[in-house]
Amino acid sequence: MAKDRNQADDYIGPLKRLLLATLLLCLFAIFLVWRIDSPRVERFRAQVVDRVVPSMDWAMAPVTGAVNLVRDFQSYQRIVEQNKELRRELQQMKAWKEAALQLEQENARLLDLNNVRLDPRLTFVTGVVLADSGSPFRQSVLLNIGARDGIVDGWAAMDGIGLVGRISGVGKSSSRVILLSDSSSRIPVMIQPSGQTAIVAGDNTIAPYIDFLENPERVRPGDRVISSGDGGVFPSGLLVGQVATDPGGRLRVRLAADYERLEFLRVLRDHGQEQLSEPGGVISSTGSETPEAGDG
Amino acid sequence: MAEAGHSRKWRMRFWYCVLILALLYLQLLPLQTMPRSWAGPDLIVLFTVAWAIRRPEFVPTLLVAGMTLLADLILLRPPAVLAAIMVIARQLLKRQEPGLRDATFMTEWLVAALALAGIALSNRVFLAVFVVEQAPLGMTLMELAMNVAAYPLVVLVSHVAFGIHKVAPGETDAMAGAT
Repeated sequence: MAKDRNQADDYIGPLKRLLLATLLLCLFAIFLVWRIDSPRVERFRAQVVDRVVPSMDWAMAPVTGAVNLVRDFQSYQRIVEQNKELRRELQQMKAWKEAALQLEQENARLLDLNNVRLDPRLTFVTGVVLADSGSPFRQSVLLNIGARDGIVDGWAAMDGIGLVGRISGVGKSSSRVILLSDSSSRIPVMIQPSGQTAIVAGDNTIAPYIDFLENPERVRPGDRVISSGDGGVFPSGLLVGQVATDPGGRLRVRLAADYERLEFLRVLRDHGQEQLSEPGGVISSTGSETPEAGDG
Repeated sequence: MAEAGHSRKWRMRFWYCVLILALLYLQLLPLQTMPRSWAGPDLIVLFTVAWAIRRPEFVPTLLVAGMTLLADLILLRPPAVLAAIMVIARQLLKRQEPGLRDATFMTEWLVAALALAGIALSNRVFLAVFVVEQAPLGMTLMELAMNVAAYPLVVLVSHVAFGIHKVAPGETDAMAGAT
């Protein structure tokens, strides 16, 4: 290349510059398309990830397993105190179990009395975490379930206990979960004893903060935070975590899900609630007398 | 001799692809699902800069654009921004390369640091112009500092594992064919 530079520079130089300019133009065009029509490019991104990452899975699984093994081994060092702690917790749990059993029986009796039918559509698909976001600036994980398994954008992902995030980006056999801690995550929630609604907003820390709260003085640390289902984004009533205050006095959520170890996530199927578009639609099934009164 | 140089060039290009894919793979391992309060060096950028300073012919423009675009897509960055910046940076560094052949390592490090700072700064400015949501400034600065600090290590790894060293005076014409 450099050998021929002196003779061929006249031809190759401008040609190369042209190529470079075209390349830069193409890259800029990609960015511009992304900025203008983000969903389309994000779908393309999901397809690329879907193509690339699952093919690395066979190599990822053993390495991840090995590293976790080493970490587990480190935790053996403090196994004695852990054992004591667990025994103590077990004692407390037994008391709770008694209480839970009694409540369950009472609940079953009451449900029976009321003839309540629980929503059969609230079922879930379980997926394995394939990969994390790979960058310190974003908080997301990739699951090995996708459009093939009927996953749809916007569904909620939980671990066994609490909400973890929501699906954003679905490929054929993979889907991305934006975690609650990601700085672009916003979830409508309700804070339990006071029943106030708020938004849980991630800011790249393990405890996302609570925003748009009307009466912060009516909220105490330790209050339960559950998803409110506002806006039809999520099913309501999923446990998010507990309220806590940070040293700066800001209200944050201590997440119930164990972010330390995200291995298996449940994605809840959500088919949306029926929308009432017309007043009186519940009362009379026809409801066609006042179609123009509907507010959509 | 020229044949051997040619085949080595293509071999190193192939190794560059493998290296970038391996780095992507390491970053994606699902080990770190807690938010981090620190940022490590961005090894993909770092290796590309190091190789562009020492042997630009091993990291041709199209390859840099392709690999960085792939990383952009997989790591959830705004697509093609860093790719375009890396292409420009590679081009500028390539122009510096003949002058750096006799330079000391400190000079090279300084050039690399300037390049890395330029990449980070232009990335932020570009995204700010288009009002794209950005990572916190502190994290970017920390990443930049880590990048600069890790540069000698990356050069060492490139030297030992991949045999990337500066073009010696005698090699220039045959494009390092004898190695």
